[in-house]
Amino acid sequence: MSGAPVLSVRSLSRHYATGGGLVRALDGVSLDVAAGELVGIFGPSGSGKSTFLMLAGLLENPTSGEVWLAGERVSHADADLDSLREIRRKRIGFVFQKANLIPFLSAVENIALGLELADVAPADAHAHGRRLLAALDLVHRADHLPAKLSGGEQQRVAVARALANAPPLILADEPTAALDSVRGRQVMEIFRRIAGTRGAAVLVITHDPRSTDLFDRIVHFEDGRICVGKVDR
Amino acid sequence: MNLALKDTLHAPTRFALTTLGIAFLVMAVIGMTGLYRGIVEDALLIIDRIDADLWVVQGKRAGPFAEGSAVAADMDRRVEGVPGVADVRRFTQFSQQFSFAGAPRRATVTGVDVPRDNGHWLSLAEGRWLGGSRYEAVADASTGLKVDDRIQLARDVYTIVGLTRHMVDSAGDGLLFVGINDAAVIARRRTSEEIHLARAAGTGAGAVSADASSVAQDSKISAVLVRLDPAADTARVIATLQRWGDVRVMTTGEQRDLMLNARLWKLRLQILTFTGMILLITAIVVSLIVYTMTLEKLHVIALLKLMGARESVVVRLIGQQAALIGIAGYALAVVLAWMIFPFFPRRVVMLPPDLAQIALALAIVCTVAAWVGIARASQVEAREVLS
Repeated sequence: MSGAPVLSVRSLSRHYATGGGLVRALDGVSLDVAAGELVGIFGPSGSGKSTFLMLAGLLENPTSGEVWLAGERVSHADADLDSLREIRRKRIGFVFQKANLIPFLSAVENIALGLELADVAPADAHAHGRRLLAALDLVHRADHLPAKLSGGEQQRVAVARALANAPPLILADEPTAALDSVRGRQVMEIFRRIAGTRGAAVLVITHDPRSTDLFDRIVHFEDGRICVGKVDR
Repeated sequence: MNLALKDTLHAPTRFALTTLGIAFLVMAVIGMTGLYRGIVEDALLIIDRIDADLWVVQGKRAGPFAEGSAVAADMDRRVEGVPGVADVRRFTQFSQQFSFAGAPRRATVTGVDVPRDNGHWLSLAEGRWLGGSRYEAVADASTGLKVDDRIQLARDVYTIVGLTRHMVDSAGDGLLFVGINDAAVIARRRTSEEIHLARAAGTGAGAVSADASSVAQDSKISAVLVRLDPAADTARVIATLQRWGDVRVMTTGEQRDLMLNARLWKLRLQILTFTGMILLITAIVVSLIVYTMTLEKLHVIALLKLMGARESVVVRLIGQQAALIGIAGYALAVVLAWMIFPFFPRRVVMLPPDLAQIALALAIVCTVAAWVGIARASQVEAREVLS
């Protein structure tokens, strides 16, 4: 690991009370991700990977523990989720299994939207969106609606959208699950490039073992915990 | 970028159909309101325009519109002599069915006292006002007659010399103006058999029946219209005329009140009730449309929240779309109303204040609908993108 941690979680737990008792979806996880680092999170279904992404992405409050971004404590059990929107807007980019593009916006508009939400002038936002698409070899598809793009193209647009605000942290949840091996590899290589050239901390939750060589570090989750002795590299 | 507009333009056919549906509902509200205005305006047409200060009608009756009325044929001369009276005109009005071009037609024959009544109170669309000669008529265009057409009324043939527009009675029948003497002849139309029977009954020793009246029972004069001297004391003139006992005197205001609150009350109430119902249906439909559109966008709204969009972005998305539908629906409704309502059998009067009130009502409906949608959207959480 190199540089100061962009994301730092401390003793993060998320428990749910159900009819069958208490479910410990996440149980005392601590993890640091540094700038420029590409970290893969592996684990079976129900191991707590997605819950971890929810908490790290400030989409849900932990039952206990803390989330720190660049040395600032941003989330804890009593945090006001609504007030964390601005932090999400400025500091976190999300990529999901499905591209989740807005269907009535073109590729470039989907990217520009994130910038306009951050009060960037529309013309500048569009220009930056085109630059990002060019960097991902998609500028020729800039004005196409998502329905006209292939799955791989949609996912690359989603990556571009996540990069639009140049956030220091990118969280990706199964970003290659819906892609074939070639396109999945392309997307993972993009993440590798983002971490290397932009200095972003990239955390990828995945089941896909085909791109493990690209990660700086791999963390295994099981039963809501990081498996001791399974932190690779 | 305007997300509401982008979303709308993404599915233009759907937007057009939604707008059309709302436009028809709003058009129905405009139509009902306009129908109400039209009926009231038609009913008050003669009362408001004929330029009379007082209406002298049959005693203890509320004629000539709310009740039947018959005054003596020479009542105008009696009234004329009362101090303060500037001029008088005889008046009568009754429905008449006649045949023209092989088809039955209806008109409301309105007897006016030519040449004393020079027709200054109405505007002719074509032709001229009644001259002094007999068997002339001025018809409203809604009767389907034209200048120089000839029609038979009772036993005589009348020539149409002028045309009016939008002059109908409270039932929507076009007015047909004839001289008062011609009107009396038309109203007295009887079959030969009737005349024979009447003559036979008249030979009965000239006995005076118990219900004999100072008013000739075959008089066809409904009322005498009075204009007062500018300096006349209205109350004093009324009191003088009422002292005669065989007449009742009503002001134009009282005639209006009788027409609106006696004769047309139930009709007005019914139209207003229907207008309210349609407005309520419009409110429900618009609310459902806006709410459904919000439900369809919950995923997008969750995504916007995930991207850190402020609540105002979501509020604008829903609010602007509701406004877009409301404005487009209203504009289309007004255009359709202007195009379609002139072909309706009854006059639909679209007054700017009514249109403004309907626009305001629709704006309130859209605002409430948007508020319901926004309330639902505010419950959406960013993490729902993952579900």
